[in-house]
Amino acid sequence: MKVLHQSQFFTSYQCDKQRCFFIEFPHKTIQLGFCQFLAFRQQVKEINLDSHFNGQNHHGLEMLMLCNRQHFFVFNTLECIDLKEFITGSFAMLELNSLLTTSV
Amino acid sequence: MKDLVRQNLSIHVDVMDLLNKQIEKEAHSSSAYLAMASWCDHNALSNSADFFYEQAAEEREHMMKIFRFINDNGGTAYSPEVSGVNHDFKSLEEIFETALDQEIAITKSIHNIVGKCRKLNDYTTEYFLQWFIAEQMEEEQTMRRALELFDLMGTEGLGLKLLDERIPQIRNKSTE
Ligand SMILES: [Fe+2]
Ligand SMILES: [Fe+2]
Repeated sequence: MKVLHQSQFFTSYQCDKQRCFFIEFPHKTIQLGFCQFLAFRQQVKEINLDSHFNGQNHHGLEMLMLCNRQHFFVFNTLECIDLKEFITGSFAMLELNSLLTTSV
Repeated sequence: MKDLVRQNLSIHVDVMDLLNKQIEKEAHSSSAYLAMASWCDHNALSNSADFFYEQAAEEREHMMKIFRFINDNGGTAYSPEVSGVNHDFKSLEEIFETALDQEIAITKSIHNIVGKCRKLNDYTTEYFLQWFIAEQMEEEQTMRRALELFDLMGTEGLGLKLLDERIPQIRNKSTE
């Protein structure tokens, strides 16, 4: 299992043997297929950070359900900011890996 | 490390995002044409109404084409939300002008995705979008032919009625 990307709170891994990904959250680690990883990426992209600062989102929390509602997460503002960076970073590493494998 | 992304997905992730945005645009087009059809119906312009009903159905087909393409290639297509559909028009001429503007915006959007495909070497999607480029050419031509009729026949009274009768003939002259 190889580390894809690590942010302040989260780490993503790729497992070649099982052809899947793992994400390590502070309190648990979950396994995701590619589609589920894509779905997670979409949910994180849809988080509107502005709403955390302009009073629209009073409590400053985001709730996400992952992997066909197997997992339920609540993230605070700081974690949400980190989550966006984390997803961008993880997918950038995946793209870099694609470039490396195609050029060889 | 294995290229798991490529194993699962035949198209580029960033291009997939743009395609999902295009799905929203096609859905919005479809709803916009439906609103135009309704206006025409209420203003006793039944041929124009039929034209826009058909146009609305076509846009939904475009949307579905992209939707299936994303899913067939391992991506995830998202069912679009449509909001901000305009129902207020002052004339049939304004409607066709809006329709032309809308088609031009869609053409630009498709070209923009093709540009992105080239940058990212996503030849699969670029090939898929060729059909849309040709389709957009035709759509723009159709709307322009409608606007030419207004120059020819005027926008009021009997002229408008006669114009409405000519609307069924403006579609796809080049392909049929
Ligand atoms: Fe279209
Ligand atoms: Fe169109």
